[in-house]
Amino acid sequence: MSSTGAPQKMRGRKRTSLRNGLFSAWGALVFLFLFAPIAVIVVYSFNSGRVLASWDGFGFGAYVSAVNSSVIVSSVVTSLQAAVGAALLSTLLGTLGGIALARARRGAWWAGGLMGLLALTLITPEIVDGIAFLPWFVTLGVDAGLGPFNNGLVRLIVAHAMFSVAVVTFIIRARMAGVDSSLEEAAADLSAGRFEAFRTVTLPIAGPGILAGALMSFTLSLDNTILSSFVQQPGYTPWPVYIFASVRVALRPEVAAMSTIMLLLTLIALAVVALVLKRSGDSATGIVKTMAGS
Amino acid sequence: MRRVAARVLGPGALSFPTWGYALFFFVVPVALVLFYSFGYKPDEFTTVATDRLSLDRYGEVFTGSVLSTLLATLRISIVGTLLCLLISVPFTYWLAVKVPPERRGLLLMLVMVPFWTNFLVRTLGWQIMLSPDGFLSDWGQALGLLGGPLDILYTRTAVQIGVVYNYLPLMILPLFVGMDTAGRHLREASYDLGAGRFSTFFRVTMPLAMPGMISGCMLVFIPLTGDYVTANVLGGASGTMIGQIIANQFNTAQNWALGSAMAVSLILVTLAVAAAAGLLLWAGRQVFDRAVRVRIDTSAAAVTEGARS
Repeated sequence: MSSTGAPQKMRGRKRTSLRNGLFSAWGALVFLFLFAPIAVIVVYSFNSGRVLASWDGFGFGAYVSAVNSSVIVSSVVTSLQAAVGAALLSTLLGTLGGIALARARRGAWWAGGLMGLLALTLITPEIVDGIAFLPWFVTLGVDAGLGPFNNGLVRLIVAHAMFSVAVVTFIIRARMAGVDSSLEEAAADLSAGRFEAFRTVTLPIAGPGILAGALMSFTLSLDNTILSSFVQQPGYTPWPVYIFASVRVALRPEVAAMSTIMLLLTLIALAVVALVLKRSGDSATGIVKTMAGS
Repeated sequence: MRRVAARVLGPGALSFPTWGYALFFFVVPVALVLFYSFGYKPDEFTTVATDRLSLDRYGEVFTGSVLSTLLATLRISIVGTLLCLLISVPFTYWLAVKVPPERRGLLLMLVMVPFWTNFLVRTLGWQIMLSPDGFLSDWGQALGLLGGPLDILYTRTAVQIGVVYNYLPLMILPLFVGMDTAGRHLREASYDLGAGRFSTFFRVTMPLAMPGMISGCMLVFIPLTGDYVTANVLGGASGTMIGQIIANQFNTAQNWALGSAMAVSLILVTLAVAAAAGLLLWAGRQVFDRAVRVRIDTSAAAVTEGARS
């Protein structure tokens, strides 16, 4: 028995290790695929030539001229302003909506309706939102005379927030789903005011979800090209729309340089959020689940 | 006042700002698009008129070059979604099952990095890589793998590569969450009960990962059909995807009626494909369940029952 069992076990182990090796190789290939274009952009940001795609030599010239180009800097500033505004607005709306949904009784009309509506905003192709906002902003700003809607920044914030409200709401709802609302009632019974109970009990529990949601909508806004290119106004061109417009002319290494700077900033923000979530006791998998909103 | 509101509406009152926002900035503008799609473009300087409503714009959408672009868009989207799924299933299985837990967190963070990098910038990376005088082309020629310069930039293949790349993280994340729910304990229980690797994978891991798989497919397929940034950067100015033509109606042709009709058609076709896929999945599941159902032999059970008494 043992004389035949050992080689068989050996063969089985060999097969298992071959299979594991294949899986690992696939994993490495996928990571290579995922990172190749990002690496290319980072490398080409040191291109000292005048055209991005044709490598000339190594240099930091692109960084210097990117930081000194007023067009590039102002588009990045516009993007950052819009992203902060959209993150604040959608986090506020999403937190309220998410907490409300998590507490909803089964079959409440407003909860089912809101879930459906938000899901609808998620599955609507972005270009449809874009072409819907264009005439709507003209109607509100020009025909109805509501001045703020003629401001490019307000338009960007409103449009981007619409796009990410659903994401934030679902993240917060998932975070709050398991939390008993009697916790807050207990706090209220212990003579904390209604608002006090909300502030000291509910918000800290929702905290990591709120943070993840805010970061998510900040990034979605920073990333947004299609919606922005429809609603943008002269003087308020966000960074992706600037790149998109220059794709048709000729791309210069400055674009890659500024993108590399922004990539670094995003990674730092991401690391900070991951750290905060880790502090609050989430496992790595839990963090990703929170961030991915499921 | 607040107490009255709370008694009437309960926690619902908290959701009203979100409701209002979604109604005012989503439902109303999209309804307007739907309305415009029944209109027409009266003259060169007016974008849309709605004094006569008709379905004529839809007739224009479902004929000739617009229809063929719509179909091409669907093909790119369906193939793209399937490729994302094919790449992600072994990858997320590896990540959720094979990778030691202490390294999993780091790898997951790495998967998130492209997700957080600007969409357009990543696409530009592909433009550099695929260009005929780029480094991939040079290396390929130097190694003798390519007979001439790499010739896929500004073709449908380049767009296909680009969309698979751009939407892959949206498939990986929910699918990983799905694979992870299956958990080690359930799989071990399945092995202990005598199931092999394959039947554990197909009967325990996959069914539990199914919700993640479905939401991944939706997250990839739906934005993909409306994408035109990737197509513009990698496919060139010639319209490969419907999104480009829709954008042109609003930006250059100034024909809001036709553009709206195209957008509404895009949504309808997308939903129809998603519904068909759902139906197919449901039918497949019925067949699969029937095939793998565990049969409990009632006569054998009766015998044991009899022996016991």
